[in-house]
Amino acid sequence: MEHLNAETLARLVDHTSEPEESAHVAECEACSAELSALRSQTEALGSLPEIRPPQGDWQPLEARLRSEGLIEDAGLFRKMGLAQTPGWMRATAAIMLFLSGTSAGAVLNARGAPQPLGGLAMRASPTSFASSANVEDAASAVRLAEQNYVTAFARYQELLISESGIEAGFDPMSRYAALEHMAAVSQAAVRQAPGDSFLNGVLVSVLGEREATARLVASQNDWFDGRESTTQLVASRSNWF
Amino acid sequence: MRESSEGLSEDQLIRLAADGDARAIRTLYDRYSPRVYAVVRRIAGDDDLAQDYAQEAWIRAIRALPTFRGDARFSTWLHRISVNAALQALRKSETRTKRERPVPEQIPVAPRREDALLQRQLERALDVLPHGMRRVLILHDVEGYTHEEIGDTLGVTSGTSKSQLFKARAKMREMLSVLDGAAQENGAEAWSI
Repeated sequence: MEHLNAETLARLVDHTSEPEESAHVAECEACSAELSALRSQTEALGSLPEIRPPQGDWQPLEARLRSEGLIEDAGLFRKMGLAQTPGWMRATAAIMLFLSGTSAGAVLNARGAPQPLGGLAMRASPTSFASSANVEDAASAVRLAEQNYVTAFARYQELLISESGIEAGFDPMSRYAALEHMAAVSQAAVRQAPGDSFLNGVLVSVLGEREATARLVASQNDWFDGRESTTQLVASRSNWF
Repeated sequence: MRESSEGLSEDQLIRLAADGDARAIRTLYDRYSPRVYAVVRRIAGDDDLAQDYAQEAWIRAIRALPTFRGDARFSTWLHRISVNAALQALRKSETRTKRERPVPEQIPVAPRREDALLQRQLERALDVLPHGMRRVLILHDVEGYTHEEIGDTLGVTSGTSKSQLFKARAKMREMLSVLDGAAQENGAEAWSI
């Protein structure tokens, strides 16, 4: 008696057999056993378990996802627990990055007291954040602060125009008018989130700036180096990024 | 502040991951990486290649996440991407020269003790199966693809897929018989009849 070949038996695992094939398997113990083994093999293949990737497999993947921009660092506001903050409040806070260097310090020291960086957030060197637990997070926060800084200038220009009609120039009177407006916005933000330390800090900064500007107005002294126009200033700062 | 992605629904995780949320992506990775790695590992037949293929599969999947509409289950969608990524990469690497890299040990997810020998023998036999046969066998017998789906995936007819499958099963049976005999000689319990 001629046995069924291996490929025919492999087909019979899950395909209907021809009558003569069925008859042969019924009579031939060897072919019947071989078919049974093939069925066991197929069943075992279908039950193979998942395989854990080697340890450390995530790190190179994460690096590549970041390099391709598929992972975004947690944003400034998310880091500070302000992800649900309305857009207008966030815009106000962004303006404060321009007005007060303390904001960047607050971002990078979210668990501690804000650390003044001495001037505009943009001027902070990355080395200032060496104590940060995660240098990458710190760099990300700085990049975001830079973006917000530009946004702040653009917004400030809008405010200058809307408040004073002056399209260029940082004269103290226009600035004071803009700060009045921002103080009102900040106060509204704090009323909506009275327990928010960041927004309270923003309000304090705005009020402080308003007071300082009021003194400048009183003394009629120029307060900004070089009296650059807002447009010129934004353009020159943009070259830093 | 949300410190963890645990407790979020899969839909929420997917939406966050599509927006680039690192924790959501990591959660999806932790949840599905054994499934992704298993299929690419078996298609690759090689550990170091499998790591590259798995990475490629994840990159493709995360890149495509914004297009995921939920018509299929996420696991199914991810699985298809993984298979395609591995098959495409395998085609490119068939003429490769094997790189020198320490080979990590495969860690099956919770293998039952009585299945361990059988699984090891199956995986070993799969690794040495010719590429064409292995692809079809894995897609059909391991992953449950139909011959039509295999034909679409590999660009062959369903008849070719069937033919390759039967050859692959027979070849596997032959190799397992040898491995099984060797195991019995070494005192291990035979798994097959």
